[in-house]
Amino acid sequence: MLQGLYAAASGMQAQQNQLDAVANDLANVDTTGYQGEIIGFQDLLYTQGGNSTGTNVATGAGSASGIIGRSSEQGSIQQTGRSLDVAIQGPGYFEVRRPDGTIGLTRNGALQTNAKGQLTNGQGMLVQPPITIPPGTDPSNVTIQGNGNVVVNGKTLGQIKLVTVPAPNGLVADGDSIFSATAASGAIRTATGSTLQQNALEGSNVDMGRAMSQMMTAERSYQMSSNAVQYQDQMLQIANQIKA
Amino acid sequence: MDPGLYIAASGMLAEQVRQNQLSNDLSNSSTPGYKVDHAEQQSFGSLLLSNTATGQQIGTLNTGVKIAKIVTDMTPETLQQTGQPLDFGIQGTGFFAVRTPNGVRYTRDGQFMSNAQGRLVDSQGNEVLSQNGAPIAVSPNGTVAASALGVFNVPNAAKQGENLYTGTAAGRDTGVVRQGELEQSGVDPVRTMTDMISSLRSYETGQNAINAISETMQQGAQQVGSIGGG
Repeated sequence: MLQGLYAAASGMQAQQNQLDAVANDLANVDTTGYQGEIIGFQDLLYTQGGNSTGTNVATGAGSASGIIGRSSEQGSIQQTGRSLDVAIQGPGYFEVRRPDGTIGLTRNGALQTNAKGQLTNGQGMLVQPPITIPPGTDPSNVTIQGNGNVVVNGKTLGQIKLVTVPAPNGLVADGDSIFSATAASGAIRTATGSTLQQNALEGSNVDMGRAMSQMMTAERSYQMSSNAVQYQDQMLQIANQIKA
Repeated sequence: MDPGLYIAASGMLAEQVRQNQLSNDLSNSSTPGYKVDHAEQQSFGSLLLSNTATGQQIGTLNTGVKIAKIVTDMTPETLQQTGQPLDFGIQGTGFFAVRTPNGVRYTRDGQFMSNAQGRLVDSQGNEVLSQNGAPIAVSPNGTVAASALGVFNVPNAAKQGENLYTGTAAGRDTGVVRQGELEQSGVDPVRTMTDMISSLRSYETGQNAINAISETMQQGAQQVGSIGGG
């Protein structure tokens, strides 16, 4: 009897997840290298109806949703004119080493140099493999080529490596636009077919227009499921009003 | 006992099933590749009434209604562009096949991804199969050609949940796989809401009928036997 009530309520919950994801996307619409979240929806188990129904009557228990991955679309490349800003064109991540020694992956290419002249990301994590720019070098003399070669005054100091994993949806987001490889993502390997662009950063790949329409759709679907809950409630009320 | 009571109650039970089914539809208005259900009502067998004294036939009496079966509307829906390289939609009829721990299942939800072994899987991690039943490898740059995916004709597809259908494939279907697109849910929110309101009112009517019969019986019990008309 109450199955429909819960089926409708599950629809509200599923849309709530979508709203949460869109809200997070919209909050990160200006985050460098941010990749939008993708919500997957699915229906739930179908069970045979009660004894008042035929044998081919199975009703579903509603819907569920969850974050199943991140958008792999290319974010727009924004010119910054800063020589240590690099944007990735194509799939792949920069590899950085955290202070605890573990490897992190990021698409945020706003690089810096630390006190020793080593190339780091914005949080001071060393770019892998380590590249040292001789102290005193004017940052405007640093050239980062499409293949990642870092050249100063005609001398190649090292190559920024781009890496990826077989299943990017299995990466764990650690905040600060940094991800960790897991058993679900597979081992880190070299990325192919991507190039680097100096003096630019990759903007968030969240499409404002799409995010807004997703939000409106989710809101309306939420409202409709909430109406369905009310109808189920009214039916129970009607059943309760049968006079003896 | 008055059969009308049970006839009215059977109508209410049928509307309850219909309402549950509509709630499930509405709940899945964002589920890719979801197909709507339609509840088919059927009357119970009717009774032949006859005069117990003379045996003369009076006519038939219907004994109510039940939901005979729920039919899934397999009409293909429009595909929506998502821009994700591992999203696939079938234009036309047919199903994708995935290998689950319980055997091969079919789906119209082409929101796929790569697993750690570099194979194309669905959101539950089931391997997607090619036309000859083999797993599909995702290229190192994260793409899969649309032609690599199998499209199967499943005449007896039945919903199982998690966007999967059970059934037996009978060869290739005519649908064309499109990359970067997902099939939208088949739920028409306006129609579903209207159906829900209509079902709610039918349910209410059933209740009114029960109350009316109940009142009639009450009158019969209290007034028919009383001398002087009560």
